[in-house]
Amino acid sequence: MTPFQDTRPRDPGRGLFSPRETEQLMRVEFERSQRHGLPLVCLLLGIDRLGTLQDLYGREAREEILAASLGALRRITREHDLLCALSDDRIVALFPQSAPEIGAQLARKLLEAARDMRFEREGRSLRISFSIGVAHNRHKDATSFDTLVAVAEEGLAVADAAGGDRFVETELYQLVEQQRRARELAAQRAPVPAPAAPAAPAAPAGPPSRAPKLGDTLLDVLAAMGVRVDDPNSLDRDSLQRLLFRLQDERAPVVPGDLVAERRKNDVLERRIAKLVEKLGVTESELKRIAQLKNVDLGIASIYRDVQGLGGDAAQAERKREMMKEIFTANFQMKREIEQRGRKA
Amino acid sequence: MSSQGILYVGLDLGTSRTSIASSNGQRATVLSYVGYPKDVVSRKLLQRDVLFGQEAVDKRLSLELYRPLAQGVIQADGPAAAQNLRAARDLIVEIVRRAKPQPGELVYAVIGAPAQATLQNKQAILEAASGCVDSVMLCSEPFAVAYGLEMLDDVLVIDIGAGTTDLCRMRGTMPEESDQITNTFAGDWIDERLAQEIRAFAPRAQFSKEMIKAIKERYSNVARNAPMVVVDLPVEGKPMPFDLTDPIRKACIGIVQPIVEGLAQLIATFDPEFQPRLKQRVLLAGGGSQIKGLDRAIEDAMRERLGEGRVQLVEEPLYAGAAGALKLAEEMPPEFWEKLK
Repeated sequence: MTPFQDTRPRDPGRGLFSPRETEQLMRVEFERSQRHGLPLVCLLLGIDRLGTLQDLYGREAREEILAASLGALRRITREHDLLCALSDDRIVALFPQSAPEIGAQLARKLLEAARDMRFEREGRSLRISFSIGVAHNRHKDATSFDTLVAVAEEGLAVADAAGGDRFVETELYQLVEQQRRARELAAQRAPVPAPAAPAAPAAPAGPPSRAPKLGDTLLDVLAAMGVRVDDPNSLDRDSLQRLLFRLQDERAPVVPGDLVAERRKNDVLERRIAKLVEKLGVTESELKRIAQLKNVDLGIASIYRDVQGLGGDAAQAERKREMMKEIFTANFQMKREIEQRGRKA
Repeated sequence: MSSQGILYVGLDLGTSRTSIASSNGQRATVLSYVGYPKDVVSRKLLQRDVLFGQEAVDKRLSLELYRPLAQGVIQADGPAAAQNLRAARDLIVEIVRRAKPQPGELVYAVIGAPAQATLQNKQAILEAASGCVDSVMLCSEPFAVAYGLEMLDDVLVIDIGAGTTDLCRMRGTMPEESDQITNTFAGDWIDERLAQEIRAFAPRAQFSKEMIKAIKERYSNVARNAPMVVVDLPVEGKPMPFDLTDPIRKACIGIVQPIVEGLAQLIATFDPEFQPRLKQRVLLAGGGSQIKGLDRAIEDAMRERLGEGRVQLVEEPLYAGAAGALKLAEEMPPEFWEKLK
């Protein structure tokens, strides 16, 4: 489902085409850019916490913020750029003949414009910010308009999940393109929708045939997902394949939100693992070296001193020794003072 | 050749939390509260002579509760001096116990102290620790953080604790007194300020210090686009929702300016050739570094005050000090430890 699926007519208040009309214009523009090898940038903009602000200050405030945001976008767009407000209050903008780096520049301008906006409600000053997803057609996998918009949506989701007030340009073109192709393939394989279901045929004579239990469950799942299977015996490989594609589609939107938090965790863990692996390598080589020696203290301390970078070859060893000497001297003096005080007491 | 093992430990003795990291891989953190049963009945009920951390806070009505480290040092003055010293000693014993030393193992400890702790403060910490470890050294907390990250050259460390915020300039040698600045615009200050803000914003709302601390720890945020914070606070016994977004932000943002003033002071007195590098290497550590958006807020204030600035958050705010102290303990030559026994 594309974000444009809204059949509202032109919105006179916002002075824009309907989402459907704009989508067609954008598709034409995208195809033209592809045909002539021209660069093109797509921005998908969301207003942070807009729903909450509406809950607090009413629909009028929401409309005012939305109008101001559109105004900010209009100020940075040219005559031939395309702009579209979607039904969920996100805004899509297409900038033909714009290099990929222009996307980041425009996003920065928009973020700054949002920071300068002020709204007064009930004596309180409201500030707004944007989350922006940026995509361009210069990536080798950005071969369709749907892919371009989907990548911008991913960027917006990541920016929003990271707290907003930022733009994100993901490199998920290949993944999105694969998913799009899988959907297309699934659509091609899907049977032509049948007319209204006829009345159930009379049960044949003889013992009733019982579908296997697993088959029943699959039929239930398919029915819940809107896939009609009139005859359990027709539950073949294609039907199951369709089910799998649908499951994949439904899981896909969940990924971006969780992705940021998981990536952060993974980054930290990977860095930690890399450090530990490095230390483990040094520890193992040190253990091997010590094992070859005789009459040496095998205590943990001696190993750790090398592992932690105080080996003779450590670049900062001399400087660290000086620092330690100073720490020791200061502590030694303190200890003596405490002892002297104790003796006096 | 010694037949005994040695357990090296690094301690971050903080006003709010005390953390330990040890060479056997153990790590532990405990709230810096120590409680003793008020009377025989409490003693019988609790079946212990001393309670620590969250458990002590939870059962505070039956306990004489001590927070022995205010502003990061043992409160060795005033009428409760002896009790504070005893509580500090018990706290160190407990945290070292949680590092699980083996029977007969020597324990060598490096303890992080606030950058500008007085000699008397340091001696109080040493006295408290000397009874439960075999050899002990003190070092400045921000120095321990930088040492743990191997950032010894041209680094500015901001260590925001509950009692103090320590600023330390690392320049490849041991930081001197002129390299360190300590102020009290830290976690406790934010708590007090937040309480004032809430009192002004919602005069009828009732709350305790613990509630304020919990609200701060959960929602603290200085980002301009911080999500709305709605908290239920009792009004004449009935919980009522309050939008505390602004009070929390106002309270938390209050520590930024003093920090940047301190940074400016340390930068301005540094070799002019290396000042730009110093501004790009600011390390934010301590429990206070968990305030969301604080790194950006400090960067913004630095840009305004100093023209530029880049702030880097440490990965593990709770353990950065303890891990650095442990590293220092492990790398300290054995003869130094022997002499301090």
